[in-house]
Amino acid sequence: MQEQSIIPQQAESEHFDILIEAGRGEKNYWRDLWRYRELFYFLAWRDILVRYKQTAIGIAWALVRPFLTMLVFTFIFSRVAKLSAPGSVPYALLVFAAMLPWQFFSTALSEASNSLIGNANLISKIYFPRLIVPAGSVITSFVDFLITLGLMAVMMVWYGFLPDWRLLTLPLFMALAFGAAFGAGLWLCALNVRYRDFRYIVPFIVQFGLYLSPVGFSSNIVPEGLRLIYACNPMVGVIDGFRWALLRGQSPLAAYALIASILGASVLCLSGIWYFRRTEKTFADII
Amino acid sequence: MSDVVIRAEALGKRYRISHRRERRGDGSPYDSSPKHEDFWALRDVSFEVKRGEALGIIGRNGAGKSTLLKLLSRITEPTEGSARIRGRVASLLEVGTGFHPELTGRENIYLNGSILGMSRAEIKKKFDEIVAFAEVERFLDTPVKRYSSGMYVRLAFSVAAHLEPEILVVDEVLSVGDVGFQRKCMDYMKRLALSGATIILVSHNLFAVKAMCRRALVLSGGRLQFDGSAADGVEIYQKNSQMEATSWALEVVGRDVSKWPIILTAMEFFDAEGRQRTVYDYGERMRVRIHYELRRPIEFPNFYLSFQRSDSVWCCSFSAARDGATAPLLKESGFIELLTPPLRLVSDLYGAYAAVWDQDFKNLYSAQTGPNFHVRDEILNSDFGVFHEPAEWRWSAS
Repeated sequence: MQEQSIIPQQAESEHFDILIEAGRGEKNYWRDLWRYRELFYFLAWRDILVRYKQTAIGIAWALVRPFLTMLVFTFIFSRVAKLSAPGSVPYALLVFAAMLPWQFFSTALSEASNSLIGNANLISKIYFPRLIVPAGSVITSFVDFLITLGLMAVMMVWYGFLPDWRLLTLPLFMALAFGAAFGAGLWLCALNVRYRDFRYIVPFIVQFGLYLSPVGFSSNIVPEGLRLIYACNPMVGVIDGFRWALLRGQSPLAAYALIASILGASVLCLSGIWYFRRTEKTFADII
Repeated sequence: MSDVVIRAEALGKRYRISHRRERRGDGSPYDSSPKHEDFWALRDVSFEVKRGEALGIIGRNGAGKSTLLKLLSRITEPTEGSARIRGRVASLLEVGTGFHPELTGRENIYLNGSILGMSRAEIKKKFDEIVAFAEVERFLDTPVKRYSSGMYVRLAFSVAAHLEPEILVVDEVLSVGDVGFQRKCMDYMKRLALSGATIILVSHNLFAVKAMCRRALVLSGGRLQFDGSAADGVEIYQKNSQMEATSWALEVVGRDVSKWPIILTAMEFFDAEGRQRTVYDYGERMRVRIHYELRRPIEFPNFYLSFQRSDSVWCCSFSAARDGATAPLLKESGFIELLTPPLRLVSDLYGAYAAVWDQDFKNLYSAQTGPNFHVRDEILNSDFGVFHEPAEWRWSAS
């Protein structure tokens, strides 16, 4: 049964691919991440398939939710609170341009923060770079986001309000939203493994965040003195950026808000990766 | 020397268990400060595995087998020591991990394959082979939640087996599925080994270990107790795995086992005809022989046997005194044998526990753990409850 292998050996070199040792930062981590790159795709694909299985209207849910929220917000902020949009922008577009990144950010955050726990059986039984799990959730939410972006296009045609060259800068703001969601998601999912309290904290963050971010209103109604503090919420820069890019610059984008947002998203992302990498080796033990 | 594909050096894994200790009698129900306790699931384990070797790992529950596999498959990190591995590792610690019940068989093959580290192109290339091996062609587009457990297991094993790993790590997979498929899996692993792959197999099924592996490691209490031929390993395991005192009996009967009035020295399983067995089909009768050594005479001894399922559910028990098999005074060492009624337990792994009580279960003389056995059935598993009993059914027109 145990026959001598006739494959030529690599001389006498004692070359091992994997070294398993305590406290050793996996040196193959990024290479492994690349090797498992298709898993990003498959996990996102699974989540999308499963999300809308046995639902009657399927993927249309990705459109219905933001659309209804937009209607409610437009009604409350424009009719009830009598706020007005800057320039000639229809209020519905003002709200929907903000709803796009916000909806993405909030779903990505909630999904990512629960992703490790939701995949606990995978984590405790199979090795793969754990980073893929929360990243997969963010990607899934991003797909929903792209679908809603189509709805935005339809609405802009409907209102006859078409974007100009500024639209080309939209990918930058998308990247910012992605970075902020991914970074915050990494923090929350890693913390969630050890402290399940975060299961209850995340919905609060999302709920408060909706009112702390300029989703239903334009950020120029925020008092002058508070704007700098207000911009510390990285989603302020992202949302203002989306409006600026989509609404022909009629909604202003302050430079400090953009810078704060870029800084915020980068810090969240880098520190998130750092904290995640530091704790991920214990996930299987404590999940 | 360069043939070594796994080299483990002084591997150790410590878990920290925190628990609140209950206090009695001093008024405060709980000790407010949580108490930490270190627990070494594995300690100081060193070994080497050569290319093409099939290595069995045996040991009782909690001996550290699963921890060792988790370390080797990089699921968790060792607390001390190191392991070096050469080549692609595929580990199958549980059948069907990563399967999603809502997805179809086809979708799950892709998903599971990629989780195990296969590329999409590889899966596509192997797809037909995987399906043929699993024998699920007709159900490819059915969600796996509608699969029978047998089909589920076959598909899961099939995906993992087609990874073409250089090192395959398998935990207890052979204990599931029907006999035909188990044999197929064993043949497949043997072929893999012949083609130069290294196989590490953890199993309670000692026959499988002996059949598959030349070499075996025996783990006990987290330490490497034996490293040598599989036949010797199995023998050592069988000897020492039996009849350890249960921890609660140490509290009740006394910390010092040598002062116990009676010691159970061995437990053996046979079928009704007296052939040694560890695997039974549903509905078979089981003959259990319990050897004991008497330290001092016991009045009306009540030998007691109970079975615990692998998920820690106590399933059934037998009591000699209740069945009228007791004696006014037990004076000599010997053995007692019981023949169970046809086993109605569902398909799973069971641990046997034996105890000696007095007639009214007031005084305990001994309680010890015995060996494990399997019950097999194509359909009945723990989803069907603890046992499944035929009943009388009757039709009637309304």
